[in-house]
Amino acid sequence: MNEQAELMRSAAREFAEKYLKDVATKIEREGIGSDIKEKILQQGFLGATLSPDMGGAGLDPLSQRLMLFEFAKVSPSVSAYIFFHNDIVSKVLETRSDKESIRNLLEGKDNYGIYWPGLMEGAKTNSSEKVMERVINSSCNKTIGLFSDGKVYLVEGKNEPVKDFKPLGLRGMGICNFFPEKRVEYGKKEVLEDLLIKSSGDIASIFLGIAEGSLEKTMEYTRVRKTFNEPLKNYEPVAFKMAELESELEIMKYSLFSDEADEVRLLMLKNMSASFSKKATKYALQFHGGYGYLEDFGVEKFYRDSVALSAIIYRPVEDKRFLASKIYGDRSGFL
Amino acid sequence: MDFDLSEELKQYGKKVREFSLKEFSNKVASIYDIQEQYPDELRIKALKEGIIDFSNPWKTMIGIEEMCRVDPGLGISVTVPFFGAEVLMLHGSDHLKEKYLGKVAAGEKIMGLGVTEPGGGSDVAGLKTVARKEGNKYVVNGSKMFITNGTIADFFVMLVRTAHPDDPAKRHRGLSVLVVERNFKGFDSNKLTGKLGVRATNTAELILNNVEVPAENLVGDEGKGFYYIMEFFNISRIFVAAQSIGIAQGVLDRTTDFLKNLEKNGDYVGEERKFKLAEMATRVEASRLLMYKAASFLFNYNPNPTLTSMAKGYASETASFAAETAMEITGQTGLNSEIERFFRDSKIMEIWEGTSEVEKIVISRMILKGDKNE
Ligand SMILES: Cc1cc2nc3c(=O)[nH]c(=O)nc-3n(C[C@H](O)[C@H](O)[C@H](O)COP(=O)(O)OP(=O)(O)OC[C@H]3O[C@@H](n4cnc5c(N)ncnc54)[C@H](O)[C@@H]3O)c2cc1C
Repeated sequence: MNEQAELMRSAAREFAEKYLKDVATKIEREGIGSDIKEKILQQGFLGATLSPDMGGAGLDPLSQRLMLFEFAKVSPSVSAYIFFHNDIVSKVLETRSDKESIRNLLEGKDNYGIYWPGLMEGAKTNSSEKVMERVINSSCNKTIGLFSDGKVYLVEGKNEPVKDFKPLGLRGMGICNFFPEKRVEYGKKEVLEDLLIKSSGDIASIFLGIAEGSLEKTMEYTRVRKTFNEPLKNYEPVAFKMAELESELEIMKYSLFSDEADEVRLLMLKNMSASFSKKATKYALQFHGGYGYLEDFGVEKFYRDSVALSAIIYRPVEDKRFLASKIYGDRSGFL
Repeated sequence: MDFDLSEELKQYGKKVREFSLKEFSNKVASIYDIQEQYPDELRIKALKEGIIDFSNPWKTMIGIEEMCRVDPGLGISVTVPFFGAEVLMLHGSDHLKEKYLGKVAAGEKIMGLGVTEPGGGSDVAGLKTVARKEGNKYVVNGSKMFITNGTIADFFVMLVRTAHPDDPAKRHRGLSVLVVERNFKGFDSNKLTGKLGVRATNTAELILNNVEVPAENLVGDEGKGFYYIMEFFNISRIFVAAQSIGIAQGVLDRTTDFLKNLEKNGDYVGEERKFKLAEMATRVEASRLLMYKAASFLFNYNPNPTLTSMAKGYASETASFAAETAMEITGQTGLNSEIERFFRDSKIMEIWEGTSEVEKIVISRMILKGDKNE
């Protein structure tokens, strides 16, 4: 691991420990506070992947993966918030050389929502130019959105809270209904797909961070919780399953946090980590018994988030088809 | 062999489904879910319209499945006011049955079952709540955790320790069941909020501080409580299987609609998603057959705990498998629909009334003991 990556990892870890850990449940209930957003900006985590001539730190891909991983362990919402701004918004603004918007982003004047229900094969967007329903990030004043004409727009407008609906995951980011006032075309649906493919390693980092966060809690709990006068860790079904999950996690992390991880490997990791994080977080909840089912224990959120995040950024058909084509070196998984 | 239900049961299932479709709309269900509020008016309505029928256990099972298929949180809420009734039915004195059960059936009272404690749910015999006999009453001290109907029930069928056997290996002896009323002095309850799912159901912690319970509220014999509760779980697990199958069938219905819609609009479906649908449907069918088999033993007074645990264990795992798969197939559409609520509701199935691990302990123990399951 290079020095920059090591430094970034410890900075992110320290930040998460200091500013997120104790308020992780509050973030779930009330959203990411403006004080936290401010600190994320001050520390240069948001916009870090932008090139220095655009005002960013030109963060290398490995450091970005480590940063997202460390945040996801404590608060998947915060990790996703940075991910959307660094991997999607910054990239869109950078290709447009939109310096003013970048400055606004880095100064915290703009906050972006994300909206692409129609990205997955067959899924539809029920929005119109008048209202975009259930945009991710309740405090956004701008949105990057995929519209029913198959085009991606940068949209300015106003948001309104969504009533009578609580999102399954990423509750710290929240959702809003967004009322567009102005929109600029950015490109076709494919550019968004391309950005998501290029972000495979970062997506895998969030999934693995979620898994590790939930497993760490479970390791602690299964050491102290006793049934039939024995700690849970002494039971084979618990201990062996934890060992299996930790092994899978370790191997994937090893691969993900290597300087040499190339596009195909990162794609493989995205595929594997998406299903792994669901499996790991589900067992984490299960081994907490009834307590796992309660928000206060901070375990169920990992399960919700891994499933919700999958639905938002992982496309089971398209991503697998893309990987299959890479494996065969030829168009595959199509009839 | 006949896999078909009787005409009477089919008609009953149809009636329950119609009621559920009418009363448990997505809008209604999501309000109770968000507000974490118990739907008391739906409970009363279901009773009045004859939707709840506990006179025939087959009807109970089929009714639960049909309701949970439309909405698990509301379906469970409407059927759970009777939770624990079988313990009283099987072992309660005529006086207790008349005093307590009759009112529940009439919709005037709600009951609950208090077994789990903060220190443990799987390890039932490890409970710490103590009842000390003093003259013609018991004085109860301790606490109970995760009790369904905890802040709304009028009384609880509660497992407590009345004796301390010298040999720790025999700690399942010395437990007894008492009927504890909410309005007994020293009884308190705190609602637990922030559940992942089944949020329309009411869950609470119960605190018992020198609660005086009349000795006549002892259910059956002193010291036999553990066996009564295990016997109860061997009945109630069939109904958890029914809840689970309702959930699994519910997400299967919705996923099928989603894919049919894609086909209708000429959108791509693909074999990957079709195969997943096939797997969901197969597991739902297998779970239901297992439940019917276990039920046919149980409801014919020949309970087979191995089969019952298999049915509960497999159906509950099927519920969360089906809900997760449905989320995968439907993606963001699922996130913005009832499917996400079904997904949240599904996970409790593998926890309550015996976790998946506990079911496997029961099944393997019985098989190794030589229960041939015939
Ligand atoms: C919403 C809700 C409603 C509930 N309603 C009621 C109710 O009305 N009445 C009531 O009495 N209870 C109720 N419960 C409690 C429920 O039955 C318990 O949560 C459940 O039995 C598990 O107990 P526990 O939570 O103490 O977990 P634990 O027993 O602490 O178990 C934790 C984990 O360890 C595993 N484990 C434990 N022992 C072993 C072993 N020997 N081998 C392998 N693995 C093991 C378990 O499977 C589980 O995964 C409810 C719970 C919830 C969440």
